[in-house]
Amino acid sequence: MLTRDEKTRLALLQGTLDLLILRILVFGPQHGQAIARAIQTNSEDVLLVDHGALYPALQRMEAQGWIGAEWGVSSNNRKARFYSLTAKGRKHLAQETSRWRSLATAMARILDLDSLESQEG
Amino acid sequence: MFWRRRSEADFSEELKAHLQLEIDRLLAEGRDEDQAYRSARRNLGNLQGANERFYEANRLVWLEQFWNDVRHAIRRLRKAPVFAISTVLTIALGIGATTSIFTLVHAVVFRSLAVRNPNELYRAGKKTHCCEWGGITQSEEFSIFSTDLYRYLRDHTNGFSELAGFQAGEAFLGVKRHDTREPAKSEAGEFVSGNYFAMFGVNAFAGRTLIPGDYKDGASPVAVMSYRTWQVNYGLDPAVIGGIFNINLKPFTIVGITPPSFFGDSLRQVPPDFFIPIADEPLVQGDSSISRRPDAHWLDLIGRLQPGARASEVEAHMRVVLHQWMQSHAGDMSANERAEIPKQMLYLSPGGAGITSMREQYEHWLNILMTVSSFVLLIVCANVANLMLVRGMEQRQQTSLSMALGARSMRLVRQALTECVLLSLLGGLGGVAVAFGGTRLILHYAFNELPGFGSIPISAAPSIPVLLFAFAVSLITGIVFGIAPAWMATRVDPIEALRGANRSTKRAGSLPRKVFVILQAALALVLLSASGLLTATLRKLENQDFGFQVERRMVLSIDPLLAGYRAEQLTGLYRRLRASLGGIPGVSSVALALYSPQSGDNWNEGIRVDGHPAPGPNEDILSTWDRVTPGFFETIGNPILRGRPITEADTATSRRVAVINQAFAKRFFKGEDPIGKHFGRFAFGPREFEVAGIAKDARILPYELEKPIKPFFFAAESQSSVFPKAEDTFSDLRSHFLHNIVVLMKPGAVLTEAAARHAVAAVDPDLPLNLMLSMDEQVAGVFVQQRLIARLTSLFGVLALLLASIGLYGVTSYNAGSRTMEIGVRMALGANRGNVLTLILRGAFALIGIGLLVGLPLAVSAGWVLGNQLYGINPHDPMVIGIAIATLGFSGFVAALVPALRATSVSPIQALRTE
Repeated sequence: MLTRDEKTRLALLQGTLDLLILRILVFGPQHGQAIARAIQTNSEDVLLVDHGALYPALQRMEAQGWIGAEWGVSSNNRKARFYSLTAKGRKHLAQETSRWRSLATAMARILDLDSLESQEG
Repeated sequence: MFWRRRSEADFSEELKAHLQLEIDRLLAEGRDEDQAYRSARRNLGNLQGANERFYEANRLVWLEQFWNDVRHAIRRLRKAPVFAISTVLTIALGIGATTSIFTLVHAVVFRSLAVRNPNELYRAGKKTHCCEWGGITQSEEFSIFSTDLYRYLRDHTNGFSELAGFQAGEAFLGVKRHDTREPAKSEAGEFVSGNYFAMFGVNAFAGRTLIPGDYKDGASPVAVMSYRTWQVNYGLDPAVIGGIFNINLKPFTIVGITPPSFFGDSLRQVPPDFFIPIADEPLVQGDSSISRRPDAHWLDLIGRLQPGARASEVEAHMRVVLHQWMQSHAGDMSANERAEIPKQMLYLSPGGAGITSMREQYEHWLNILMTVSSFVLLIVCANVANLMLVRGMEQRQQTSLSMALGARSMRLVRQALTECVLLSLLGGLGGVAVAFGGTRLILHYAFNELPGFGSIPISAAPSIPVLLFAFAVSLITGIVFGIAPAWMATRVDPIEALRGANRSTKRAGSLPRKVFVILQAALALVLLSASGLLTATLRKLENQDFGFQVERRMVLSIDPLLAGYRAEQLTGLYRRLRASLGGIPGVSSVALALYSPQSGDNWNEGIRVDGHPAPGPNEDILSTWDRVTPGFFETIGNPILRGRPITEADTATSRRVAVINQAFAKRFFKGEDPIGKHFGRFAFGPREFEVAGIAKDARILPYELEKPIKPFFFAAESQSSVFPKAEDTFSDLRSHFLHNIVVLMKPGAVLTEAAARHAVAAVDPDLPLNLMLSMDEQVAGVFVQQRLIARLTSLFGVLALLLASIGLYGVTSYNAGSRTMEIGVRMALGANRGNVLTLILRGAFALIGIGLLVGLPLAVSAGWVLGNQLYGINPHDPMVIGIAIATLGFSGFVAALVPALRATSVSPIQALRTE
């Protein structure tokens, strides 16, 4: 059963999860749970991360060479696998960010136009 | 990118760590432990699913599953060894047959010469013309060149980095080491230009190759030896290089050895063992030399294009040069011939495979054999598919159980396919072994080897392309015969596992099995009727009336040129040879001829009859002719119908006489009595011959065996003529170098080779006896190809019949077995054995019948394809097709009868009890 709170959260668009993970890792190495947490809090609880989908995504990104991984110890002294950004990942992030920005701008422009017209009409 | 493989355990470890961290967080938020755990689990979703997704994302999973499938398939096959072995053997036969034919196809049709960048090579001319051509112009296109024309083209054509000329065909040479007393051995040689090896980019294996300096007239004679001869005849003796060898009694220095992979410029039955500069041809060939005459064409040309040169441009330029050359010889030409100059064509064709006369000769029958062997392979596939289907039926329960337990159908299909591909690859491996043996056998039968010479440079050992071919065929075979059973496997209803498949009355899978049997019957019919047609053709060819006798006749080959004879010494030599051989006990008569019946050689000239008007330009005035000694007609057993044969009375000083055949009389003396009439051979020459007799038409030539015998005349060896044109006199002179001795034995007597050699050596120890064959063997040699095709097709036909019968047997016994209960009921209700037998046989014959219906049009079209191989046999001979149908029907009857009889022997009680 979903709570009301959960209903307003948005499922992530395909491909955006990678971008978000890379962005979070800019602040430094982090383990999976913390990444999920960070995405959720930084989006002010709007974006919902399916934890089950997170790990295969991390796996894939590691295979792509965007991130590296190492077992370490968390702040509360738990064993965890820490992911960090590689140079390739950093480059990819830069590219994807600019692509995302132009997409978002374009989307916004069209959507605003639409709302303008409907107001006029 | 480097992919570090991560273990599944490590991944689950990470998920566990995540859970722990999430629980910690939730606890920190103030949830109780139970709630925190459940919430964390829910957020993570299906743990198993995540694990599985990780597993699937792993790229090596395919390989791992494949490996599992292979291991599983091996385990399953080891449990059914009889099935596995019989399947592998069947496949090995099919793939072996196809691969051995492909080995030949590859060597004859596809292979390039072992030279540098064969794709840069271009040959002047499209068709091949072996071995000589006279005249300034050539019909259709220029494809063979005189020495003079070669040098002209080489010096005036732009675009070739090298243009080499070499003898079309080969020269048989008498070779011996200078310092030994052994008699000269007959060896195959070839005259080549000095840049021959440079053009091919072939370096010497030892010593050096020929260089352009060797080409100059007057350079001290040198030759290059093949690796084969060096190894076989001279034991790789290093002293050979730089050693002196007598070639046709003239001393030559061997300067080098060709590499082992180089077998000359073309694939030939007898590859050349000595390469001699063209400039030395007059020295070696003496009176028979051809290389200095501008109108005697005897060279093939291959050139290497300069980088960036375009073949079409070079071709256009070469045509211009060719016309310039012809204009420069216009003075030697008749008006008719001059008019031909503007029409003279020359084409460049790819030369990387060398001179491809062998391809032209064999391509057609290789295609036939390739088709036949792929039919066999198809039948093999159908048969194995049937076996696999039976196996699938037997494993229904296992399969439905697997499906009931949740196995995905794709996995099951893959498993079944893996098993098939594994079987076919094993079969392919066996097939390569079968092909090795098969190819050796075919090579032995297809290309008759001349004792003492090299054999055709085709190796039966599998090469890379052949192995790739076998691998590809195995893979395709496995997929073809495996796809149907694999598909059937997925059609299994999981419920059946619970129900017990044995009780099922549905005979699922019987339709594809029936289709396979029909296919097999149809293909077998095609092969049987094709082999019937080819065998009938062979029998007709072998049993035809040749017009001469074959029994008790031996043919000996000599070459007086090899022993350095001059034209004026020849008549005496022949007389002494006849006397010496005639003195052997048991010899009845001896005669010599320029060539003997069916030896393969032939000489042609245009005939002008005294008192007849000059022939028109399109009139066929060609006649084949032969030069013979007295006693020729009785020795070969060709009856003289009128007049007299050539006798001892015909001498150098008596009137020139000729014996003509019936076809000659009909063609040139329509409505006249030819005896006493005169005719001549050359337009400008005298009408030299007086017709002395008429011989019965005989098949002297091994060509156009299906057509009527053509005009032929025989001239006396002792007589020669002088003509206004020097080349005509020269041509007449060359015809006196006779090559064959025919010996007729008394009934029961045998001519041993030792006796023959001794008798020839008694006349002249330097005259090598090249070859001795019985006339039987010589005639049989003409039909080698036909016999090989007929035999192989018959072999494949029998194989197909056997496989089709096994297929029918399998289907019938399976059907009969699954109808045991039905039969029991019928018999209990009063059906007798005859009814049951009819029931089962009817089912089997329906399949055979449909197979015949499908196969009949295929067999008829196969007859069309074979058409020109059949030498006058009707390609739709109802007898042959009838016999094929009867054979197939009978085999099918036997194959179906056995299981049918077994079915009727079931007692009704037992049948009804069977669960």
